[in-house]
Amino acid sequence: MSETHEVTVTESRWMRALRTIGVPILSVLLAVGIGSLILIAGGYDPLKAYAALFQGAFGGEMRKPLDAIGDTLVRSTPLMFTGLAVGFGFRANLFNIGAEGQFILGSLGAAWFGLLFAGLPTIASIPLVLIGAALFGAAWAFIPALLKARTGAHEVITTMMFSWIALYLTSWIISGPLAESATNNFQTPQLSSSVWLPTLDKIIPWLPALKYAHAGLLVALLAAVVVALLLRRTTLGYEVRAVGFNPTAAQNGGISIPLTTIWALCISGALAGMAGASEVLGVTHRMYDQVSAGAGYGFTGIAVALLGRKNPVGIVIAALLFGALSAGSGTMQLFANVPDKIVMIIQALIIFFVGAETIVSWFVKRRQRLALERKGVAHAAE
Amino acid sequence: MLLSDFLTPDLFASAIRIATPLALAAIAGAICERSGVVNIALEGIMLIGAFAGVVITLAMEASKVPFLVDNAVWFGVLAAVLAGTALSAIHAFASVTLRMDQIVSGTALNILALGLTGFLLEVIYGHAGATNSVVHQLQPLFDFPAVQGAGFWSDVWYWIDQLVFSYTPIVYMAMIAAVIGQWAMFRTRWGLRLRALGEHPRAADTVGVRIIRGRYMAVLMSGALGGLGGAYLSLEQNSSFSENMTSGRGFIALAANIFGRWTPIGSYLASLLFGFAEALEIKMQGFRDVFQIPTQFFLMLPYVLTVVVLAGFMGRAVGPAEVGKPYEKE
Repeated sequence: MSETHEVTVTESRWMRALRTIGVPILSVLLAVGIGSLILIAGGYDPLKAYAALFQGAFGGEMRKPLDAIGDTLVRSTPLMFTGLAVGFGFRANLFNIGAEGQFILGSLGAAWFGLLFAGLPTIASIPLVLIGAALFGAAWAFIPALLKARTGAHEVITTMMFSWIALYLTSWIISGPLAESATNNFQTPQLSSSVWLPTLDKIIPWLPALKYAHAGLLVALLAAVVVALLLRRTTLGYEVRAVGFNPTAAQNGGISIPLTTIWALCISGALAGMAGASEVLGVTHRMYDQVSAGAGYGFTGIAVALLGRKNPVGIVIAALLFGALSAGSGTMQLFANVPDKIVMIIQALIIFFVGAETIVSWFVKRRQRLALERKGVAHAAE
Repeated sequence: MLLSDFLTPDLFASAIRIATPLALAAIAGAICERSGVVNIALEGIMLIGAFAGVVITLAMEASKVPFLVDNAVWFGVLAAVLAGTALSAIHAFASVTLRMDQIVSGTALNILALGLTGFLLEVIYGHAGATNSVVHQLQPLFDFPAVQGAGFWSDVWYWIDQLVFSYTPIVYMAMIAAVIGQWAMFRTRWGLRLRALGEHPRAADTVGVRIIRGRYMAVLMSGALGGLGGAYLSLEQNSSFSENMTSGRGFIALAANIFGRWTPIGSYLASLLFGFAEALEIKMQGFRDVFQIPTQFFLMLPYVLTVVVLAGFMGRAVGPAEVGKPYEKE
């Protein structure tokens, strides 16, 4: 993503704080507000809808709290990975719109390596499967990355095309070579429980039994830490940030833009691939057709990365928010009869408003210009 | 199997039909990018156009007024164009006035279109998935009687009839848009200014070209064309709307625009290539027993072709210099 404007305005500390924390919060509020208007226009009661949404995500009369919170965490987990994936690309000025495809390949990789490594002890098999899935995701990002580096083919189009290719390719693999059986089409055999990610309460003894929640969450948090360290403490991280910040200066400083591009997009793909793996090893325990289609974890990752301001900590928080939205949408559909598509609309609005933070600098500039003009007028009057 | 089983006139005619929505969106992309604005929202613009077209056509068909019922599909086409223009107006406001990142704005609008059409589908018709079918799709513009008998001249006539006279109105509109667009872009004052907006807005501004207005116009035009492309998908190629029915065509169209070197006729010809590939794919599926290839590989083809085209086997494509960069007056 290109930084498309130069902020030449001097910002007060208050203004800067507003931009880092205020803009995301404001964006969410605005999006929910406009979402309410759309609900009213559609003939629904927004209060009832949001109440159901909230209870679906955090518990209440409509859903047991432990179920709801567990569900929220489960849905946040892949979003943390895909959010980190898209966010990492952003840092290098790359828009990995195709995290969805890398997610799908990661799921496939997890299903395949899960079958291969089923005999190994859990402590070895799970890391191996995760690494395998990450490699699958990275491989799927590699060709768009190479094309971007070599010919300048825009990654927005190529990674998007690779998402569609991934969809059909895996659809063939899981109905052909890796199919469970000839009759039970479009899914791989169930993985042996030795490669399942354990539930959270098995790892953290004092935790109550949150339904569904699995250790993938811990891996995602670990990934956030690794990404943060990678960006701040390593040469590659420095190069990625330099290329994203000012490619010309980076090149003059001796950084290879093509190489950095390839690394950045492949790491992004690897993270998206791990999202697929955590979903397969933790939730579905097999790959089936359109494993991510309902939720669209890859696409939601874009919203997560933008709302999280491309920052690992912000991304984790944003993923929790979108996980809650996703977990609550089912309850909302069930109890308030509201189409769950409203969540997608809210998501789009959040992306829009976060992206439109230039409004803030626009206002600042306008105010300064007006102030200058007033001064000028005062000057002329003297 | 003979080659003549394959290269039939209806193969080429179907290529031209399939290319039509792509071509409209690709020309839209060319106009928009020439003005310096990237429009990846074309995917959403087509989708919302496809939806609005069907909704209005169904509503008109349900009304009891004879005039509305008879021309229902035309009201649908108009609605599609307006809906596409409306969505592109948001993109114009975001990228020109607010100077927002154009890809972020486009992504948000694509997701918005997906969510909004799905939501409204359930609100209006009470179920998800797809709408009912419209009763009357757009009909072919010409309807000549089939030739009797066999022979060289009747064969020639059959080819001409299939290749030239067999289409519905929007197919011809796309051809006209390509020719007029090409002429306007390179032979008129409007076109010169449009290209200046994307190449060197500062210089254009200096000589008095109105940048903001010019870019708004270009984005709105691309929205109208994209909406028309959407109408083709739902009212001609199909007769109903189904969720996410554009399935990446907006992005393929942008690739066609690049392959066509940011020109309307180039965009049209590049779209024809994609149309031909898909027509071939459909034809080959009919011969599946001969080829023994899984369906999924056929379905992948347009996307693979897009990547191949973008890989630039014909050299590096260079677009307008200032594309994607918002303009700020000094």
